[in-house]
Amino acid sequence: MNCDDSRIYLPAYLDDELDIAESLRIQKHLTECRDCRQAQDEQLALRSALRDPDLYAYPSADFSKRIEAAVRQAAKEEARSQRSSWLESLRLGSFRWFPAAAALVIVATIGVLLVINSVRSSHEQVIASAVLAGHIRSLQPGHLIDVPSSDRHTVKPWFQGKLDFSPPVPDLSELGWTLVGGRLDYVDKQPVAVLVYQRRMHNINVFLWPNHGSADDTIREEDAQGYQILHWNGAETTYWVVSDLNNAELLEFARALRGH
Amino acid sequence: MTSNEKLRRFEEQISPHLKSAYNLARWLTRSHEDAEDIVQEAFLRAFSAFESFRGEDAKPWLLTIVRNTSMTWLKRNRNAGATIGFEEALEDPIERSPDPEEGLLISCDREQVRQALEQLPSDFRQAVILREMEDLSYKEISATTGVPIGTVMSRLSRGRDWLRRILATPHPVKREGGAGLR
Repeated sequence: MNCDDSRIYLPAYLDDELDIAESLRIQKHLTECRDCRQAQDEQLALRSALRDPDLYAYPSADFSKRIEAAVRQAAKEEARSQRSSWLESLRLGSFRWFPAAAALVIVATIGVLLVINSVRSSHEQVIASAVLAGHIRSLQPGHLIDVPSSDRHTVKPWFQGKLDFSPPVPDLSELGWTLVGGRLDYVDKQPVAVLVYQRRMHNINVFLWPNHGSADDTIREEDAQGYQILHWNGAETTYWVVSDLNNAELLEFARALRGH
Repeated sequence: MTSNEKLRRFEEQISPHLKSAYNLARWLTRSHEDAEDIVQEAFLRAFSAFESFRGEDAKPWLLTIVRNTSMTWLKRNRNAGATIGFEEALEDPIERSPDPEEGLLISCDREQVRQALEQLPSDFRQAVILREMEDLSYKEISATTGVPIGTVMSRLSRGRDWLRRILATPHPVKREGGAGLR
């Protein structure tokens, strides 16, 4: 190993991130090279300065108690909301006919909702399966992105001339969502823009196209074969988000995207 | 998982890392009050997302939430240039290129180290805090900060270089006699 290599590997060596063979090579070089040893000493001096226990910020005992109480309160509220509240409300009825009437109203309401839902969802089901198919296709090698870039100023202009609308490309990197690129896809008989974000090793495909209907930015969920699908209709743009990421994090992502 | 069971497991696995959560939030926001608010919010978020915790290492899992909560917080209350977070923002602290005839002695003055660390731009500060104070591996830092391992390595290396230079006091090294740095 020469000095150039040694300087490159030195931080990883001191951070204990090298395998044994590489560690041995750099150790050997360090015993032979005074300059590299000095570099090592400087890095170790910085480390011990940064690991000074007095620089560590400790929470106060009061604060620790406050957090414990807040978490227990949240647990209590969660337990309360899990108890099915409609049964309790039925029990409150002081007339004998009340449970029967309430049940009738519930059955009727569910019936109407089912009809409305099936009309609405048949179209959404079609989109959901198209979006899911697009997501699964994108996971095949070489299909994920047409324009690989983490720079929104590269990704956004790339869509120009390929679509008759200009998709918003928000930068969410500060929130921990890395833009990795974009591509074109085809959903609901129209070409659409797809933005690809990543967290850890999970890909998130965001399908978007102009919303010509009414806006409703409530985030709705569809399940499909173990993938999470979220969608909403923004004022100008319809969003469909698909990933194998867990539900809580994907919701967090959807909210971040919607808030932009 | 019943509510009681969930609370018990949360307190057993997540609560012990309160110290790390507070330390990270404190260093990211540089404010005691903000850090307490962020940690409280992060703990409640962690509790409601606890079903998605798959029993991996609890500390990086919690710190990811703390880090994201802090970033959202800083963005919402953008003040005092708290969110300088771009790679480009790391400029040379001082024009004091190391002379080969000089060694660099790191200042051990705690207040100076504290100030230097507080001035370090956010992305670099996160990586350094997670590595040096929380002892996270490169892989865990990558998961916590949502950037690839290569970026973690480069942030650590540039952040440390910057700190070394700002804390350095030049002093002559005798070429003979081996009286260099220990």
